[in-house]
Amino acid sequence: MATENILEDENFQLLAFLLASARGCLDEPPIYGSLRLIDAAEKTINIIIRKFGEIQELSEIRKKIEKARSLVLADEEEFSKTLDEIMIDISKMIQKA
Amino acid sequence: MDLMNIIKGRRSVRSFLDKEVSREHLITILEAGIWAPSGSNIQPWEFILIDDATLIKKIKLLSPGLYGFPKALVILCVNKKKSEKAGRQGESLAVMDISMAAQNMMLMAYSLGLGSCPIASFNKLGLKHLLNISEEVDPVLMISLGYPSEWPSPPARRPLEEVVHLNGYGKHPGR
Repeated sequence: MATENILEDENFQLLAFLLASARGCLDEPPIYGSLRLIDAAEKTINIIIRKFGEIQELSEIRKKIEKARSLVLADEEEFSKTLDEIMIDISKMIQKA
Repeated sequence: MDLMNIIKGRRSVRSFLDKEVSREHLITILEAGIWAPSGSNIQPWEFILIDDATLIKKIKLLSPGLYGFPKALVILCVNKKKSEKAGRQGESLAVMDISMAAQNMMLMAYSLGLGSCPIASFNKLGLKHLLNISEEVDPVLMISLGYPSEWPSPPARRPLEEVVHLNGYGKHPGR
């Protein structure tokens, strides 16, 4: 792949996001670590769905990620509960596979 | 629009419409910024306006705190050559000055129907490299701008009675 087109590649976008987040998390509030990780998870879901087509379970997880993002600075307890729900969802997918 | 309505109506917008923002509006917003107060009137700021879509895409890659696809960005920088004129306080004063300029810009943006979001989560080193920012200039804040796809609801504020201390710390005014 020519590097001039790499900006459009979602994997590259995720890579840049992860690296910038890795550096940023050293200086930011600890809760931002979780926030960056769910953002990265959402980007990863987008990549998977683009590659394999619609996957109902992942779309549901993506919706819960959106909800979690709205909670992260407003209600840490609810944020934590939503992440627990997401973990149950992903565990079910792993179990079923 | 009444000033208090503008102050209360401004939200941090993280999702934008695919609708261009006129250069005229952007210049008006920047003009609001330069009219902010600054310590000793040093005006230690440099504002970098970005309205090139490809460049915004590149900056987004270095900015985990930048959500959505804004039509413009203002990078607010401290010019250290200028801020050092304020002595040892220079660095912290410059951040205050930049913050006041940022608020002016965001309120002006809101009054023009535009959404904005202040962003500190970006990689400063990467951004300096990408935008050829000189050594003595430090980007400290970024404001994203665009027409909002939705206005978020206002988050709760700590009440006046708790935040305000009347004639001495710890004595809260009644309402």
